[in-house]
Amino acid sequence: MTDETATVVEVPVLDVVSGIVREILGEYDVDDVEITMDTTFHEDLQLESIDLVVLAGRLQEHYGDPVNLAEFLADKELDEVIALTVGELVRFVASRG
Amino acid sequence: MSKIVANGIRMHYQRMPPKNRPGTFSTMCDPGADPPVVVFVHGLAIDSLASFYLTLAPPVAAAGIDAIAYDLRGHGHSEKPSHGYRVGDFVADLDGLLDALGVHQPVHLVGNSFGGTVAFGYAAAHPDRVASVVSIEAEPPTEPWAERMRVMMAAVVEDLAEEGVFTRIAEKFGAHHARLAAAGLDRLKSATMIEDIPTGPLLDRDGLSAIRCPVLSILGSAGFQQDDLGALERALPNCRTEVLAGQHHSVLVESHRTVRDLLLRWVGEHAQSGAGVR
Repeated sequence: MTDETATVVEVPVLDVVSGIVREILGEYDVDDVEITMDTTFHEDLQLESIDLVVLAGRLQEHYGDPVNLAEFLADKELDEVIALTVGELVRFVASRG
Repeated sequence: MSKIVANGIRMHYQRMPPKNRPGTFSTMCDPGADPPVVVFVHGLAIDSLASFYLTLAPPVAAAGIDAIAYDLRGHGHSEKPSHGYRVGDFVADLDGLLDALGVHQPVHLVGNSFGGTVAFGYAAAHPDRVASVVSIEAEPPTEPWAERMRVMMAAVVEDLAEEGVFTRIAEKFGAHHARLAAAGLDRLKSATMIEDIPTGPLLDRDGLSAIRCPVLSILGSAGFQQDDLGALERALPNCRTEVLAGQHHSVLVESHRTVRDLLLRWVGEHAQSGAGVR
């Protein structure tokens, strides 16, 4: 755990990502969880890969075509996708914004 | 989330439009001609369109190909009817999906594991709608296949019924895999998949010879067909095999870059004249 902090640019992105993730988690009746830059999608939030597809769609709706999560993840190995953190995703979105 | 009703089932699909960068398929097509279409069909139980959406679909779309992935009935975010899981039901869904999406040109079907079985079933039933099949660790719906599926699904259900099995899976492979196994078991048992899937309809020797389109079979050397890696090539009229050394049944996720390169080369070789690469 690195206790990563979001930069000024990344804070609003973290807010949007957290909101979308909570909407998706809502479908699973999961108790309220803290979402930080260090939170992992699979281990901490227990999201499945199909949830990442939904997340990708919502991010693209919000930020437009340059934020293509599928392209971002297609470059990664399976282990990296499973270990994906909210922080990695936030940095990716911020870099495209 | 994109959903559309096909064959009476509400299906979740994702379509990635072809990119029009110079040098891609779309820019090489004759003006007015449609770019090639690739339809991805995922595997059974724990699988969903995510396996393709997060691996092959983005580079395929970037190469100028129309990329479509969908969740099979009972999987992902598609409708989960309580019954109706024969291979023929999945074939009818795919036919309905292509109609609903307005895809009328022959498509390249890319099927992983059971998804490949569906693709073969579709190619046999609708030869005019299929340009080629790329089969990843898959085989057509035949009697020997059905028997193996019966044995395998029964073994999975029996193994996962043992007390404490999910704790042991979590300890050995991690919580993520334990959750996947539990969800897959629920999916298999919550509907009539186990009973329905092996009932086909199954293809006999004549049925296999009706699959005349070009077939690329991608196998792991340690995958499900390791005992006879040449069986499919002998059984089909027009099949080429690529064996990936050291790979297992999960070759798609373990070696997605290699599979991607094989697929792009294959579509390039087999782009229909009507879908016209010059």
